[in-house]
Amino acid sequence: MNEALCDLSALEIARRVKSGENSAVQVLESTLDRIRNVEGNSPSTASYTFDPADLEKIHAYITVTKDRARVQAEQVDRAIEEGQDPGPLAGVPLAVKDIFCVRDTPSTAGSRILENFISPYSATPVERLEAAGAVTVGKVNLDEFTFGSSNESSAFLPPVGNPWNAAHVPGGSSGGSAAAVAAGEAVISIGTDTAGSIRQPAAFCGVVGMKPTYGRVSRYGLIAFASSLDCPGPIARNTTDVALALQVMAGSDPHDATAAEVPVPDYVSLLEGGVEGLRIGLSPDYFKLKFPDPETGEIREQSIDPDAQRAVQHAAEIFARAGAEIVEDVPMPNTHYGIPVYFVISRVEAASNLHRYDGVKYGYRYDGEVEDLRQLYRITRARGFGPQVKLRILMGMYVSAEQYEKGYYDKALRVRTLIRRDFLEAFDPQGRYKLDCLLTATTPTSAFEIGSVYGDSVLMQYADLLTVSANHAGNPGLSVPAGLDEKGLPIGIQFLGPDFSEGTLLRIGRTYEMRTEHEPWRAVKPKVLQGLG
Amino acid sequence: MPEFESVIGLETHIQLNTQTKIFCGCKADSWEDLPNTNICPVCTGLPGVLPTLNNAVVTKAVLLALAVQVDSVQPKSYFARKNYFYPDLPKGYQISQYDEPLALGGFIDLPLPDGSVRRVTIEKLHLEEDAGKTVRQVGERWIDFNRCGVPLLEMVTGPDLRTADEAAQYLIRLRQLLRWLGISDADMERGQLRCDANVSIRPVGSDDLNTKTEIKNVNSIENVRSAIEAEIKRQIREVQSGGRIEAWTLDWDEDKSTLHKMRSKESEADYRYFREPDLLPVLIDQDWLEQMRDALPELPLERKERFIETYALPEYDSEILTEERTLSEYFERTVQAFIGDPKVVSNWMMNDLLRLIRERGTTAGKLIIQPEHLAELIAMVEAKTITASTGKELLDKVEHSGLTPEAIVKAEGLGQVSDEGKLRSLAVEIIETNPDQVATYTGGKTTILGWFVGQMMKETRGKANAQLVQKIFRELLEKS
Ligand SMILES: [Zn+2]
Repeated sequence: MNEALCDLSALEIARRVKSGENSAVQVLESTLDRIRNVEGNSPSTASYTFDPADLEKIHAYITVTKDRARVQAEQVDRAIEEGQDPGPLAGVPLAVKDIFCVRDTPSTAGSRILENFISPYSATPVERLEAAGAVTVGKVNLDEFTFGSSNESSAFLPPVGNPWNAAHVPGGSSGGSAAAVAAGEAVISIGTDTAGSIRQPAAFCGVVGMKPTYGRVSRYGLIAFASSLDCPGPIARNTTDVALALQVMAGSDPHDATAAEVPVPDYVSLLEGGVEGLRIGLSPDYFKLKFPDPETGEIREQSIDPDAQRAVQHAAEIFARAGAEIVEDVPMPNTHYGIPVYFVISRVEAASNLHRYDGVKYGYRYDGEVEDLRQLYRITRARGFGPQVKLRILMGMYVSAEQYEKGYYDKALRVRTLIRRDFLEAFDPQGRYKLDCLLTATTPTSAFEIGSVYGDSVLMQYADLLTVSANHAGNPGLSVPAGLDEKGLPIGIQFLGPDFSEGTLLRIGRTYEMRTEHEPWRAVKPKVLQGLG
Repeated sequence: MPEFESVIGLETHIQLNTQTKIFCGCKADSWEDLPNTNICPVCTGLPGVLPTLNNAVVTKAVLLALAVQVDSVQPKSYFARKNYFYPDLPKGYQISQYDEPLALGGFIDLPLPDGSVRRVTIEKLHLEEDAGKTVRQVGERWIDFNRCGVPLLEMVTGPDLRTADEAAQYLIRLRQLLRWLGISDADMERGQLRCDANVSIRPVGSDDLNTKTEIKNVNSIENVRSAIEAEIKRQIREVQSGGRIEAWTLDWDEDKSTLHKMRSKESEADYRYFREPDLLPVLIDQDWLEQMRDALPELPLERKERFIETYALPEYDSEILTEERTLSEYFERTVQAFIGDPKVVSNWMMNDLLRLIRERGTTAGKLIIQPEHLAELIAMVEAKTITASTGKELLDKVEHSGLTPEAIVKAEGLGQVSDEGKLRSLAVEIIETNPDQVATYTGGKTTILGWFVGQMMKETRGKANAQLVQKIFRELLEKS
């Protein structure tokens, strides 16, 4: 198959656009072509009836911002004609998860309640990507307000399909981002990770996704889910492109008090440094999952998929051969509290963050007769929010109520510090393990089938078991593709590191990429691309 | 029946006079602006926005904390979210400090009319954002978001006040202090100083704290006094008739001068407070705090005492001169420039300068006439270069023209004539041209002396030294 422009790496596209070999408009046209080929029915809030054909297409884009993108691409081309440098992402097609506000675009959060909200401002990381020459192709689907791990909870249906097998979910909540990048409908995407929402879909769709350190990338303009956990981050098809995008997005922001004043290193130049002398850890707590049985509450133990286990072991061998020191049996004893703690903290913050959607100022408002203000609120929110959102609001309200706060929320915060301590001890340069990174599987399983888990919000959440702890602790995590399982679906492995160690994680990821370059699975393309010219 | 005393605590909300709002860059003061003109994505709670703390708010709040001698400005304090639905609260929660406020403890001393001092303890000071304003129209609500995010400092007193008068006094002192420190314009009519009052009663001699009611929405010091008085009377009536005080929230109806019940305390909402994850803790650097403490100006009561001691002023004068900071500074600068009795300066300021300030609707600090000018002017009167009434007129002329008193006196020839030779020759002339009046005098009706003095004043346009003129005429007429 002839590689289209939209299948090239961001690095290569920027090089070609800057050298005049291709124009940004050509790259955009190629991307729009791809979208036409693989999208299928575009997602909408109209009442959805299942169509078997939907299980063969991607449906990643809620909005394709064709005209806006063309203006941007032309600007890039004009800048080059005039001898200016449009930036390191010159002409690179960008898909923005529709949880980010982008000026003059519908910014829906995948919810009916914001369906008609056009943002008057742009999120800081999106603004930075665009300022670096990226061309925003559109806004991609997600779980409603990012509440989910499969993209099925979006108010915009059909749900996003996995490019490797569109009957399977792309993961979530940044499922639209991972799917669009995997299918060549964009070259980079910006997603958000609250419990694994970048890394899990990246793993499911066979792409690279990074959850940066909390505070590394500004949250300004990110429609908040759980403010103390949300991290914007890049998704791309290789670590170099992720490094390139992170480089542009990262850094302090006068609009976000929690964005760190830590200098941004040159991630791209650090990439090829190898892993010689690095200490890479393996933890039994990331191979065997412990979680309370949803029915009985008893703690159950279950191993992650053998394919995922093998991928982790294989990677460890590769790193050992490349000169890294593998440290086994690193205890991360509080990992299994990650999900229950997440249930409490994220819901409390979410319920509060969702207060503002009341039909008064913007977004959907019930326009029938109402008796009073209370009724306006109630009907607006009842019709505007989907079931997953309501569930989370209810739970958030419950555990933050005065009489339960101590038993749930306060306790969850204390357990969260224990989870953080696991990481601190593993990475402590004076400690017992002195790790540079922890190597784990990204997800316990590969992508499940659409409809197979949705509705069981407890089970759904366990897709995030291996990723959520990094959100509690604030640490960075990088997921890279590590082969295909027996169903032909991608497997992801994850590198977790100390605060602000993105550069090291990307270097480790890049080493893995180079050392597995010739493995046969690397040559396999996602199913949706097979047979395309 | 026992005698009752009342127990009053005040919860004040102080609008800090920063240029911009507490969490965004919008202009903070919208008093003269049209609705919804000082707003942005942040203060109107658009999806995705984040608050960032305006440090000027912390600085101003810490100034007040130090002035009321708090036990501690907390090295680390936090913001929380107070969650509730209301159309003029665009985020659906108010960002407010809660369990870890900016400062704890402290007091304000209140001099009472009997000469004693009531120490009013301060429980805590905390920062928060204001909500918007709802204007109810028939079947509609209009919402003005201008006020959203205006910085407020909440200061809560202990139950230390005993009468409605004391509550009013407390507010007067607080307002004085806020303006003195330059941290709030503290105009109650403009909502820059708001007050809720907690009121309960108990038999005199008891230490109990009984069920209290909370009076809200009172927008002047006079109304606070009236509302508390009315509530004390109501509670006494209630208890005397065998009733029980319930923890109501009451609303003061200014037009009818009555209280009415808003809601029972028991039905209060659960605000589900939790730490605001979008803001970092407020960290107070100890070195900076010490710098702030050193830079704290002398406070009104201290300055009042010092004026009494240093300048031998009566307490009454000192109280008035220290009511407002620039006035007190004006006084001191004038005293420094004037060689003479400070009481003379005080007299001039209390009688004439304050009149000028009132007429111009300004403050001493904004007058055109400078303390040095006033000192020069008083010195001229004292040296009898000009008369006292010329001096008073001169005050207005300096303020109007910006010229120095001396320049005006010279230009307009206002100097008092004390040249005996000149006056004597004028007097001789007057006597020669008015033989009838001279005859009256020599005939024994010496009271006509005043008429002669008047003639001289006419000749000299009031500038003649009256005593000298009298002396000259008496001498000349006796000789006639
Ligand atoms: Zn604003």
